[in-house]
Amino acid sequence: MNFELSEEQSLIREMVRDFAESEIAPSARERDEEERFDRVLMFDKLAELGLTGIIFPEVYGGAGADYISYAIAVEELSRVCASTGVTLSAHLSLGANPIYLFGSEEQKQQFLVPLAKGEKLGAFGLTEPSAGSDAGGTKTSAVKDGDEWVINGTKIFITNGGDAETYVVFARTDKDAEKHHGISAFIVEKGTPGFSFGKKEQKLGIRSSPTLELVFANCRIPAANLLGEEGSGFKIAMKTLDGGRIGIASQALGIAQGALDEAVAYAKERKQFNTPIANFQGVQFQLADMATQVEASRLMVYMAAYRASAGLSYSQSSAMAKLLASETAMKVTTQAVQVLGGYGYTRDFPVERMMRDAKITEIYEGTSEIQRLVIGSSLTR
Amino acid sequence: MKILVCIKQVPDMESKFKVNAAGTWYDTADLAWRMNEYDEYGVEQAVRVKEQVGDADLTVLCIGPEKVKETIKKALAMGCDRGVHVLDDNLSSREPYEIASMIAEFATDKGFDLIFTGMQSQDRGSAQVGVLVAEILSMVSVSTIVEFSYDNGVANVKRELEGGVKALVQVKTPALFTCQLGLNTPRYPTLPNIMKAKKKELTSIPSTDLLKTEGRQHTEKMYFPEKTGGGLVLEGDVADLVNEVVRILKEKTGVLAR
Amino acid sequence: MKVLLVAEFRNGTLPGSNSELIGFARKIGAESSMFLVGAADKLPPYEGTLYLADAAVHGEFNPDTHKQLLLSVIDREKPDMVVFSHSSYGWDLAPRIAFALRAAQVSEVVDVVDGLMVVPVCNSKLRRQVQSKTEMTIVTLQAGAFGTAEEPTGSPSVETVTSEAGSRFSFGGYEEAEQGGVDLSKSEVIVSGGRGIGQADNIAMIAALAQSLGGEYGASRPVVDAEWAEHNRQVGTTGQSVSPKLYIACGISGAIQHLAGMKKSDFVIAVNTDRDAPIGEVADVLVVADLKQFVPALTDKINSL
Repeated sequence: MNFELSEEQSLIREMVRDFAESEIAPSARERDEEERFDRVLMFDKLAELGLTGIIFPEVYGGAGADYISYAIAVEELSRVCASTGVTLSAHLSLGANPIYLFGSEEQKQQFLVPLAKGEKLGAFGLTEPSAGSDAGGTKTSAVKDGDEWVINGTKIFITNGGDAETYVVFARTDKDAEKHHGISAFIVEKGTPGFSFGKKEQKLGIRSSPTLELVFANCRIPAANLLGEEGSGFKIAMKTLDGGRIGIASQALGIAQGALDEAVAYAKERKQFNTPIANFQGVQFQLADMATQVEASRLMVYMAAYRASAGLSYSQSSAMAKLLASETAMKVTTQAVQVLGGYGYTRDFPVERMMRDAKITEIYEGTSEIQRLVIGSSLTR
Repeated sequence: MKILVCIKQVPDMESKFKVNAAGTWYDTADLAWRMNEYDEYGVEQAVRVKEQVGDADLTVLCIGPEKVKETIKKALAMGCDRGVHVLDDNLSSREPYEIASMIAEFATDKGFDLIFTGMQSQDRGSAQVGVLVAEILSMVSVSTIVEFSYDNGVANVKRELEGGVKALVQVKTPALFTCQLGLNTPRYPTLPNIMKAKKKELTSIPSTDLLKTEGRQHTEKMYFPEKTGGGLVLEGDVADLVNEVVRILKEKTGVLAR
Repeated sequence: MKVLLVAEFRNGTLPGSNSELIGFARKIGAESSMFLVGAADKLPPYEGTLYLADAAVHGEFNPDTHKQLLLSVIDREKPDMVVFSHSSYGWDLAPRIAFALRAAQVSEVVDVVDGLMVVPVCNSKLRRQVQSKTEMTIVTLQAGAFGTAEEPTGSPSVETVTSEAGSRFSFGGYEEAEQGGVDLSKSEVIVSGGRGIGQADNIAMIAALAQSLGGEYGASRPVVDAEWAEHNRQVGTTGQSVSPKLYIACGISGAIQHLAGMKKSDFVIAVNTDRDAPIGEVADVLVVADLKQFVPALTDKINSL
């Protein structure tokens, strides 16, 4: 067993941390306040660094690195800006990865390569008003008409929505099949007639990451854009989310680490009763608990990433990692605000943003409750 | 064309330093290490020249213990072609002349057209090594450059002087340049280049093969300066206060010396 | 002990750092002489022998000839120490001289204690006492470390020196510092105004003091929020983090947000009417005064120097 990062992984961490601190961090507060997505900063620059296709083979425009490197990249970005972290995670795990896993060679050349190179931004459309945790309840429909599929319906809470060019969208292709079996996955490009965007959500956190509705009204796409086999959509969605959980777990880990770093720095700086508050045992105990939880999350996140790279089953492992890391992020950011006291509650310090950003990690790509279901069913199956 | 860039691995300056047991240097345990900031500009400039002329071979050299290889890998990931690691477990006791002698010994007869070094290291901060290497090799050197251009055997550079003034200097190669912060914008090593770096040549040379001189100075002791903050409180008549502050500015800061 | 002081001449003027060379010689109680590539009509105030080479002939920046000129003077004077400022001139020329003379060079000396040179390590976080092992020692002095309250006076007795040495350098003149665009992080002197300046017009007196010191002016958050100064001048967590050689905080109480942005400054002077203001905790000097009287008076004094 080896707990040390490889040379590449260490270099990737150093590079992404330098980049995140010098380029991403300075505008994080402002982008949060203005609910502004900065495509050049939050995506195009990641593409220049080779992060947008980090886990895909070089032949598909990727960097050929492993899942741990990917986890480290999302962690380091999220450490200073969770919105940038989720932009990469949603693009790579949800937008590009299903095409890599289930796409035909033609689809990979046509859609995966530009996504991996970061020429296009990816997104994933599964959730609907009445189908959140229960993906089987998908109502959006796709009907074959000659060489085309005609899609109708609405998808909600779509990360990167509106800005992304390539969407993997799930729709019911067989009304009569048992609910999980009648769903198929499609690749839909922005600009296709009948595909438009609905309202932009105003959110508690990750406010610099756009979340939009996708609206399909007689949207016609080529038959060749069916991803995988007809009726295999539910399986594709679940497999994709297994990988996505590693991304969100990494995001949560990064948020927690960022809050811990802020709290430690503040505690060493802030004086009360003529001594830095870090010297008070009460504060030290808080910091110790925070650091221990963050480290436990890290081990679990990297373990899930390791299993994914090694070709081992990782559904349970990634669910555990996401469950622990997201709940840790919520606890640790809340404690960080407490350590900073009144200052922590103001927007002059980033911990209140981190606390707001942390909450979503317990919700999206499978709520904590769903993670427990996944873990529970894998134990009792 | 052959280019050499010399780099050093230094602790993150935000680290919590401790004095070592011998009391002559900082304790090197439990520190985060990175490439000397000034050297990053040197690596970037060397890579840019290589990209400009196309046909160039770029060597990066670093002296120190085994762990400096991480920093060499970063330089390789930024675009250097080959790495040279001078293995020296006694780096902290080496004074600038010894370091410069080792580099010059390595560079002798290798035919480097351009050599880049940082203007100084962030830890020792002597600002000597680059210029000394050039002197030992009888090579022309320009220190503290903030702009660099190269064309056909001629380098045009700007040196940074005090108060933001720059001096324009032209020299013919072979030449050595010591790089000041702001010379360029060092690139981030991209993922594909990080993956490629592990396949690049990295040679190790024991420092005993290159070190043929003795140190000319040594450190008697190292210690933390006394805290100055929370200092003097001045009260009284405005004219007296002004005179007192001017006196303090002269004695404690260099700002009236410009 | 005999020291040779290497003075500087830049862009036709004598920088004030030359007087620190004299301060160093005084401090160690050494007999001194001086070397300068400069101009006969612009001699530095100094009592003693000045070996003067003509900058019009030998150039202001020409390490090859300056090295030969200085080596010839060293050969005549045989000093125990050759002393430079740790400046763009000094750190460039000193290693060339050290190598030629097989001498140790000790860089950026801030003090001399028991005959040992004290130098900073790791951005002045640590100090080192250094022993030279060679007969002659080359030193460069940190700016400000040997400043003297009284300016040197007198006029030197000049001995002219020349050299026939060739040069591999082609010097193309100077380029003046760019004006406009504020980058506080690169500024060596920052004078900042806080809520205590009272009204928008008073930012001008902060700017005037900054200008007299060759620096930039900054502001704390309340001043920027009140639109008395532009956002790119804000120092603090929501503005810029700065680390100048000198930071003068005028009418700034020292909210933690502001302190986080300026605490890495080398030397901090605070001007405040409240002697218990938290800024006092990070200030090297706290001037208890009304900034509206003190700041203009200090500016006038500095401009008259």
